Amino acid sequence: MAIELTVNGVRHSVDVAPQTPLLWVIRDHLGLTGTKFSCGIAQCGACTLHIDGRPVRSCSFPVSAAAGKAVTTIEGLSPDGTHPVQLAWIDLDVPQCGYCQSGMIMSVAALLAKRPNPTDAEIDAEITNACRCSSYHRVRKAIRQAAAAMPAAGRAL
Amino acid sequence: MTNDLRKPGLSRRDVLSTAAVATGALVVGFWMPQRAAAKEINSAGTTANAAWAVDPAVDEINAWVVVAPDDTVTIRIAQTELGQGVWTSNAMMVCEELQCDWSKVRPQYASANRDGQEMAPAWTLDVMGKGATDPLGGGEPEFGGRNRTGITGIPNSLYRRMRTNAAASVRDGRYYLQLAGAEARERLLLAAAKAWGVPVEEVRSANSVITHQPTGRTTTYGQVAALAAQTPHPNPERIRIKPPSEWTLMGTEQKNLDVPLKVTGKTIYGIDVRLPGMKWAAVRSCPVYGGTVKSYDFERIRNQPGVISAIAFPIPDPALIRDRTFSGGVAVIADSWYQAKTAVDQLPIEWNVPPKNAAFNTANMRATLMSAMDKPGKVRVNLGDCDRAFASGARIVEATYSTPYLPRARMEPGNATVLVTDDRVDIWIGDQSPQETRFSAAKITGIPEQNVYLHMCHLGGGFGRNGNGPQAEQAIYIANQNRGTPIHLLWTREEDFINTTYRAMGVARLRAALDADGWPIAIEVRTAMDETAPGATACFDKVSCYYAPSYRFSTHTAAFHVPVGTRRGVGQPAHEFYRESFLDELAHAAGRDPYLYRRELISRTNLPYRADMIKALDTAAEMSGWGTPLPRGKARAIALEERGAEGGGHATISAVVHTVSISRQGEVRLERVDIAHEEGFGLVNPLSVRKQLEGQIVWFYNDAMHQECNVTEGRIAENNFDTFPLSRINEDPPEINISFFKTGHWLNGMGHDRGTSVQSGIADAVFQVTGKRYRDLPLRNHDLRWS
Repeated sequence: MAIELTVNGVRHSVDVAPQTPLLWVIRDHLGLTGTKFSCGIAQCGACTLHIDGRPVRSCSFPVSAAAGKAVTTIEGLSPDGTHPVQLAWIDLDVPQCGYCQSGMIMSVAALLAKRPNPTDAEIDAEITNACRCSSYHRVRKAIRQAAAAMPAAGRAL
Repeated sequence: MTNDLRKPGLSRRDVLSTAAVATGALVVGFWMPQRAAAKEINSAGTTANAAWAVDPAVDEINAWVVVAPDDTVTIRIAQTELGQGVWTSNAMMVCEELQCDWSKVRPQYASANRDGQEMAPAWTLDVMGKGATDPLGGGEPEFGGRNRTGITGIPNSLYRRMRTNAAASVRDGRYYLQLAGAEARERLLLAAAKAWGVPVEEVRSANSVITHQPTGRTTTYGQVAALAAQTPHPNPERIRIKPPSEWTLMGTEQKNLDVPLKVTGKTIYGIDVRLPGMKWAAVRSCPVYGGTVKSYDFERIRNQPGVISAIAFPIPDPALIRDRTFSGGVAVIADSWYQAKTAVDQLPIEWNVPPKNAAFNTANMRATLMSAMDKPGKVRVNLGDCDRAFASGARIVEATYSTPYLPRARMEPGNATVLVTDDRVDIWIGDQSPQETRFSAAKITGIPEQNVYLHMCHLGGGFGRNGNGPQAEQAIYIANQNRGTPIHLLWTREEDFINTTYRAMGVARLRAALDADGWPIAIEVRTAMDETAPGATACFDKVSCYYAPSYRFSTHTAAFHVPVGTRRGVGQPAHEFYRESFLDELAHAAGRDPYLYRRELISRTNLPYRADMIKALDTAAEMSGWGTPLPRGKARAIALEERGAEGGGHATISAVVHTVSISRQGEVRLERVDIAHEEGFGLVNPLSVRKQLEGQIVWFYNDAMHQECNVTEGRIAENNFDTFPLSRINEDPPEINISFFKTGHWLNGMGHDRGTSVQSGIADAVFQVTGKRYRDLPLRNHDLRWS
């Protein structure tokens, strides 16, 4: 069955079973491999992307539910890798193995769009992505740095 | 003035490099099928014309260094990047000597295929200097076996040790990586001198620019690289490496070169490999180790969308994976992985399960280990007269500790993409031991090793070389049954839990006889775990690092079926929990301060690095405000972390103070961590070291608080992140302070068993606050409330 999707501003029509998780359509049909598979049960957040600006764990989200909505993946977060969150991540050398970081960055970008200057409690509540290398210490610092940089960058999220 | 000395024409690699640099990519030389290039697999499934099928001919200076005409420097990396920063630190060691422009360095994975066919230059085989305490030398690498299977030691083959394990990339590789950079530099200088017709003594280089000192003439590495490639060094055995006092790049904080890729989703992990005509395999392994497939009913899934075929695979040959016995299973091959996974979920499979293995469960295994400690065991150390001390009527303190089975649970589930044709094997994989995988591929397919090609990818976490399990062996087996079709095997999270090795479940009984002042006159340590578990003697193996006139250490074993291996440490993490917890218990029994108690017992030894251990303790205590009052519900605990400190060779020594709060409701919070860490003669990339420390603190917090795997009817019970919890950012300690201090030896390594003290630290803080002493991890199993 053909499903219409808009991913990173580009319209696609994919012929897959409607219950196929969005993750696998993104990775295997559209070839966007920045979004990662890890647990498959919406626990770890490695597969986080945005649907209409909200963070979604795509491993457990049927593609049919994304039809007609705007999907953004790590590849579409910024045209050139210069989203304030990405820049803060580079500046503080946040990633270790990096496997969870696409999802982590997408969660943080969504949080900062909603709460430009989040409290520690808000970060704790909203950033529930797992990082096995435990880069959390730098993640928190980089969230602060990105939050501080966002007004200066003057960009809408 | 700049002279153009390069020989005419660009090599193919030069073109590749230049193109990649122009697009700002750091992916030069990932020997990955760029998606277009890989279309060259022809319809017969042969690879002869594919761009990645041949290593492009380039004018390399040596096997490690290629300089392009535009001064881009490709540095070959023989370890695998899995988050430890080796792509950057290995490149720094070469660049330091090469004296090239760091901003122009591009890492590239070294070829395991070439490694199987070429030998390293004879003059690089042996380390120079006087061992681990000589700042001028190459340290004391563990050469071990020098054959090119690369199972242990440092082979004499081209890229030497290609394993990524034992936190040893700097310890074992530094000398030959520095030599590689130094030789390349010398040959670039020789080439410039030859071109100018001047003595080589008159030319110097810095930042990729070569200067003829008397005249001020300059050229660049890129300009003379082709000539250097044709200019052998006349006496390379005289090349020396820079000691730390001469380092300019090593020892500085350098951001990791691949981070820009990691924040844009462009890093290629094994799971991201795509080849034309590639099919996907999802597998179901027998959940009881040692089990095999009795039957399966393919007809039930034959008509499912995308399904192509199914095959049973045997237990991967234990001889290829360090004698670990995993399971047999069934692979379903389909057009997409989700189709394959959906089908295998619905596939009826009957197993042959060894009844003995199915009878294991956590309780009976722990009971077996406990009773093993009552038997004689293997006595490893016996100093003084323990029996007499314990019989002397002195005060006896005894404690029994236990730790569970623990998997690595790396974020990227196991996977590998394999194409077998009649005369060649290609493997795309994130792999911590490509030399062994090369050997496995030849054994499984019957195709000679020189026709096995590994295309290395970054790994989404590693945490122990043998923990990757038989991902390669399964995939090679399946692809060998489907010759001509690239097969991408990908495990579910649940399969990854079956197909990893575990840190062994362990128990320990420690006893001490204390004199009237509370100082031990004898310490006895018994440990028990699986007979195949590595690291049985860690921490306890030579002498007691806390002094006692009599000391006895024995190991005890049992035979279980769960495959065990290293996991961010080799025995050390559990053993340091036992040792440091017991020291806390002795200090409390003696009524003495746990910091000063440790300090005194170390100062009574004659261990070679006791001054460094005392320095670590003193510094950590001072950093933490040790002894200053804390509110009710908070406590500090101190511990020593050391690897190798008893031996006088390489060592890594630190002390850590943990400040912990426990609410009346029993909620634990690691509030603050103060780490005094030695840097030995010098750290290569202190930024990566900081990141390793931050990460390992939380790693061992998970071990202390949350993580365990239980065995139920022979199966691992917890097999995904709903039942095997991973801590999140809300549990990260708000404050981590790290202070480095220099010592007089080279470090053992930083990639594992740092942060082990979180375990004893939290357990002792719980005791201080609640009065309850828990000796088995994780602590979430216990009631930590107090009033």
